[in-house]
Amino acid sequence: MMPAETTEKSTYKIPIGPIHPALKEPVMFEFEVDGERIVDADVYLGHVHRTIEWTGMRRNPVQVLYLAERICGICSYCHPMSFALAVERIAGIEVPERAEYLRVVHAELERICSHTLWAGVAAHEIGFDSVLFLTWQVREKALDLTEYLTGNRITKAITQIGGVRRDITKDMVPKIEETLTFLKDNFGKLKKVFLDDKTFKMRSQDVGILTKKEALQLCAVGPTTRASGVKKDVRIDQPYFAFGELDFDYVTPDVLTGEVNGDVYDRIIVRLLEVKQSIDLIEQCVDILSGLPEGDIVAEPKVAKLLSQLKKIEGDGIGRMEAPRGEVIHYVKMDGNEHPYSWKVRAPTYNNILPWIPMLKGEQIADIPIVAASTDPCMSCTNRVGIVQNGKRSLFTNEQLHKLSVEKTRRLMQ
Amino acid sequence: MKFSMIPQVLSQLFKKPFTNQFPAKYMPPSVTGYLKDVQSGKAKMIPPIETPKGFRGKIKYDRDTCIGCKLCMKVCPTDAIEFIPETKKIRIYLARCCFCSQCNDICPKDCLSMSDEFLLADTDKYSPDLIVE
Amino acid sequence: MSKKQIASPEEVLDSFKNQFSNKITKGRIDRYPIGPSKHEMIQIWMTVDPSIFRDVVKHLMTFDKHAHFAVSSGYDIEDRIEIINHFSIYPGKKAREISINFIVPLPKSDPTMDSICDLIPGALISEQEKQEMLGIKVKNIPKNMRVFISDDFPEDMYPWRKDEMNADKMGRNLHENDKIPKPKMGADK
Repeated sequence: MMPAETTEKSTYKIPIGPIHPALKEPVMFEFEVDGERIVDADVYLGHVHRTIEWTGMRRNPVQVLYLAERICGICSYCHPMSFALAVERIAGIEVPERAEYLRVVHAELERICSHTLWAGVAAHEIGFDSVLFLTWQVREKALDLTEYLTGNRITKAITQIGGVRRDITKDMVPKIEETLTFLKDNFGKLKKVFLDDKTFKMRSQDVGILTKKEALQLCAVGPTTRASGVKKDVRIDQPYFAFGELDFDYVTPDVLTGEVNGDVYDRIIVRLLEVKQSIDLIEQCVDILSGLPEGDIVAEPKVAKLLSQLKKIEGDGIGRMEAPRGEVIHYVKMDGNEHPYSWKVRAPTYNNILPWIPMLKGEQIADIPIVAASTDPCMSCTNRVGIVQNGKRSLFTNEQLHKLSVEKTRRLMQ
Repeated sequence: MKFSMIPQVLSQLFKKPFTNQFPAKYMPPSVTGYLKDVQSGKAKMIPPIETPKGFRGKIKYDRDTCIGCKLCMKVCPTDAIEFIPETKKIRIYLARCCFCSQCNDICPKDCLSMSDEFLLADTDKYSPDLIVE
Repeated sequence: MSKKQIASPEEVLDSFKNQFSNKITKGRIDRYPIGPSKHEMIQIWMTVDPSIFRDVVKHLMTFDKHAHFAVSSGYDIEDRIEIINHFSIYPGKKAREISINFIVPLPKSDPTMDSICDLIPGALISEQEKQEMLGIKVKNIPKNMRVFISDDFPEDMYPWRKDEMNADKMGRNLHENDKIPKPKMGADK
């Protein structure tokens, strides 16, 4: 914990972090506070550095796929897929058509699971725990479908360089359709709760605003930037897998409400509409897949032959994908050895951290959890916040900061 | 509706909870006493939800079919497989296995497969239950 | 070229070559066929001299006022350190985006380059990361501090390097360090 100090303008500096209320990963903030309003903010990173890129440069490409999967629990499909895209472009491997559609199905299923998880966490930060349980109950069905298709709920292990490892056969289709029907029926319920309920509107409208100009200059990605009106989505801008064949458009808040404010309410709208879009995309793909003939799902089924092929390639390549949180980009350089010469991973949250500073200026302390959670940082809950008031130091626990946020809801409701 | 969660919350009072209450509905006063009762048949344990086909659980090894080619060791991301030179067979340490089943895919003789066992917790990393050979 | 027009990849590359003549070398355009209908993904690669890097970024912003800076990666090879900056322009319409990558080779004897944080504020974290991982110096960086590595890590060890300044000594192989001996099972004998 850093020592706090008073300045001439009688503002106080509050350090928040590294282990943390509204975030799911350790990040350190320092807020300069005047009463209850935030005047300035600073970000420090680096508390969960796991030397993944250094480890990856000592493994062969098939092993690196599983290392990449464990970078993040929720984007656990996008990191190995981006790595596979980069290596396929270096080696010139052509992926069969059936595998491209299968890859789309799994990517959209992961997007549904991630956005419903986020919706529950956002409700919890406001203090609305009943909605947390309702949303996560809906998510359980999506996770059951993932387990049925891939063998595990979170670490899917379905990526292979040149395709996927498991197929969707005709007898699996009824279960997919049953889950999709359940999700569609419950989507209406969730939409009504999140978008029409008075509690959510009170806490989230005109809070944490990010203007379009700031979003473009700070290079924000994902739903955070789409909620400010910027049309950026890797699936449409530079299509990969089979997204070029499918029919969908950018999701910005004016699709539903007709205007763009860039506040927390707009981010809720964007994420819920994306869930609907994902359900639609999965349906399109399953229809197309049942029309395709049975075929290869991977370019080279014998893994030993694939490894000896990858030992000889040289060159560099880039893989870009749209994870639930934004753009994931991997850069790989191979030089004729088994291990990659260089591997760079960039998760979307690192571009979305700098926008926190303009979003939080002018807000109240009790709004920190919901604004920070609205950008959906890929991080996890924690302990203590140190607050200095009038020269006396006191420690707030996670429960106390959360209570501040809940009490504000009660005050506004009166 | 202004407070749209109220009908949902009230209807939940009459419905069965969504959680599967494994292993028992309420916490027993003594865990070891409860396990003894289950073994002798006096108490019943609610079973966990069934895993689907193709679930990646504990690994199963068919020792006689293995030819000692060491291809599985080349692909294991966590270095969990050890080769025994004297008998030309392998030994798998479950404490390091990440259940990716890549070794199943590459084995030329199909002697590795994944079972549906997932209750594998133990206090000792190298206990005999967690070593497969 | 007016800002409203969308340039083709060849026009973009030619414009850079005309503007900066011999300081830009090894320009190439890679086209990858993607997906069942094989539409193209376009990547432009250019090797740029460090002295004109800031002007190159300014020239890029004439094509797209808000060019998107994704990340910068790097590695060291022989006697130089190569930093690769990944940009992309023209989002907003289907299959229109072009990726542009600038390779900036810095000699190991003097690895300095200019900061672009005043043009693109979102580049701050990337530049701090290159400083601590590869040992380069970025001039005029707004905040000079370590971002991913803790402050008590030794000063002259750079984890991504493959030469004598690497950080291999700091890595520990936990499998070998396990004090519990591996058991001998009865089936071995």
